[in-house]
Amino acid sequence: MRRTRVTALAAVVAATSIVAAGAVSAQSPGEGWKVGLVTDVGTLDDRNFNQYSWEGAEQGAQAIGGTATAIVTQGSADYNKNIQTFIDQGTQVIVTVGFALGADTVAAAKANPDVFFIGVDQGVCIDENGDNDGTFTCAGDPAVLLPNYQGVIFAEAQPGYLAGIVAANVSKSQHIAVIGGAAFIPAVKNYAEGYAAGARSVNPDIKVEIQYVSDDLNKAFNDPAGGKAFAEQLLSLHPDIDVLFQAAGKTGNGVLQAACEAKAANPDVWGIGVDVDQFLSTPENAACILTSAEKKLSNAVSAAVQAAADGTSVGGNSLYSAANEGIGLSPYHDHEAAVSADVQAAVDAAFQAMAAGTLDPLGATAP
Amino acid sequence: MIQRLRDQLLIPALAVVMGLFVGAIVMIVTSPLIDGQFQLDLPLKAYGALIDGSVGSFNAIIQTLVEATPLVLAGLAVGLGFKAGLFNIGAQGQFLLGALGAALVGGWLAGASPWVAIPLALLAGVIAGAIYGFIPGALKAFTGAHEVVTTIMLNYIALYILAYLITGPLRDPFATFARTVDVGNAALPLLPETRNGHIGILLAAAAVPIVWWLLFRSTLGFQIRAVGANPDAARYAGMRPRALIILTMSVSGLLAGLAGAIQILGLTKHMPIGYASSIGFDAIAVALLGRSHPLGVLLAALLFGAMRAGSGLMQVRAGIPVQMIDVLQGVILFFLAADVILRWVFRVRARGTGIGQESTVTRSYGGQTSI
Repeated sequence: MRRTRVTALAAVVAATSIVAAGAVSAQSPGEGWKVGLVTDVGTLDDRNFNQYSWEGAEQGAQAIGGTATAIVTQGSADYNKNIQTFIDQGTQVIVTVGFALGADTVAAAKANPDVFFIGVDQGVCIDENGDNDGTFTCAGDPAVLLPNYQGVIFAEAQPGYLAGIVAANVSKSQHIAVIGGAAFIPAVKNYAEGYAAGARSVNPDIKVEIQYVSDDLNKAFNDPAGGKAFAEQLLSLHPDIDVLFQAAGKTGNGVLQAACEAKAANPDVWGIGVDVDQFLSTPENAACILTSAEKKLSNAVSAAVQAAADGTSVGGNSLYSAANEGIGLSPYHDHEAAVSADVQAAVDAAFQAMAAGTLDPLGATAP
Repeated sequence: MIQRLRDQLLIPALAVVMGLFVGAIVMIVTSPLIDGQFQLDLPLKAYGALIDGSVGSFNAIIQTLVEATPLVLAGLAVGLGFKAGLFNIGAQGQFLLGALGAALVGGWLAGASPWVAIPLALLAGVIAGAIYGFIPGALKAFTGAHEVVTTIMLNYIALYILAYLITGPLRDPFATFARTVDVGNAALPLLPETRNGHIGILLAAAAVPIVWWLLFRSTLGFQIRAVGANPDAARYAGMRPRALIILTMSVSGLLAGLAGAIQILGLTKHMPIGYASSIGFDAIAVALLGRSHPLGVLLAALLFGAMRAGSGLMQVRAGIPVQMIDVLQGVILFFLAADVILRWVFRVRARGTGIGQESTVTRSYGGQTSI
């Protein structure tokens, strides 16, 4: 008896959603769509990944005439449940934030071909069966197997390169450093090597220290105190280093803090932030954050939501780079005086060249 | 009998009512004003979504059961400790070790037949949890070290054992993020027609009557309760408090370990670094709300499980942050602890205080050395 009632209810729900879908397609695509965002463990106002992805989802939803809601994940066991909650609500576009949600997002995309999935920082990698491929062989073609799953990834080497240009120009000692979280994360490595390449494009003889904190992800990305100690050690080893770029998440906030403390003794010291405009997102270190190598998360997510609605989304990875304004350097805010017009011109020229495809930040320094 | 049941249920039920009431006020005053007005209908929307998301459909009910499963087992673990006068704050560590044991053996047996892999992986979790409960039990029995202190410290030790093993020897070499290998065939099978309703639900359901029988129908249970009520009298009556303390802590750890094993084998299928879970701590709330009685624990776990299951929909429909669930849980606990307020608000007279009421929690430090 109960079974029948459940089935009957399901039938009614299904019928309603078909009617609703029919009504939607009569209007502009995406009108009235529901956009759901599942965060990684943390909060929605983290002034970082979750927050800027959420702003992008809201902007995207607004642009297509839909509405956006978010579920904040409390534990890694809940990813799947939270995605499913949106599916059950008849959500048309589901955005999942962060690499860690990749496997659950792939599984959900496979099981729900009528729902669009957008995975922020999730390089789509699937096997021949359309299942998540943890070995990174990536034998499956996402455009064929999972056309409803869009990975949003960024060309981190490009903003790294721009940061390197600024760093090499403001450095008095011509000895600079980048502290990355973990070397095995491609995004981090790209940031660091792009930075070194950008600096060498200004002065081929500049000394660039490239250091990685740890292979333990918690220490690498979630440990500000450890990051501060790491940076202090590097600075005591090379006291002439005067620009510190961080590519280590929250651990890197400790790096910036160390830069700020070093600035008290030597006003030429600068820190450079990562991912978001850290002058705004970590105001406690704003005094020494010259600029940040930014991924334009909200632009990218907003664009991906709109692409899903107007049917231009084809699955696989969409790369956000200079070409589509997906990356950039943050404004200098209070520190504009430190960056001359010539330097800004060099940054702008490099950005244009990368956008036009004539400059490959990593190819430029290939030995 | 009915009268006693009513007395047992009344205060927890009133605490839940007060929790929902205070929660409603918090929701109204912390939400943005619309046209300069408080959104007075917000709690209705939020609680409606909470109910819909937890019992509103077949899938929602299953989700509630899935969420309640570890809370039932870990709640029984803490409740059993309370009955023996032991405050097992270490359920979290025992839970984590149980999860680790299951992930380890499950990973080894990933290719074996499920008939072999599942029982052995569960057994590994159970044993790991029991050993981790045995340690503070033995420390207390032989040295008098207070279990609150030792179990808190053991929780940290568990955390770092996990961090070491998962980033080191047990790390899945193919995974970008540090995690153990997939448990493969050791994964718990799903109940028919459910999305993630694994058979761990049945294990939790079976544990309730078993623990009830143990506590209230077996000699051992009588001894456990006697030691909890008055260890000196129990010893005078010929019982052996030391052995009972060790045994109780081990069984408590066993239950918490089973909860951890079920979470890994039923849900995540591997153990990631920073396996975020507060089951062991929430279990304390469950045991308190359930008054350490197995049936009470079951009801409390179902309530908290339902809140977790519905919290997603609550965020979607009413925009209430998921942390609201923690607020509700906290307020409920507050009113349980300060039941004087409840009695005053609802004009409930204290009944049966004194000899009739069995109200064991723990003894103070001063009493510990006498064991």
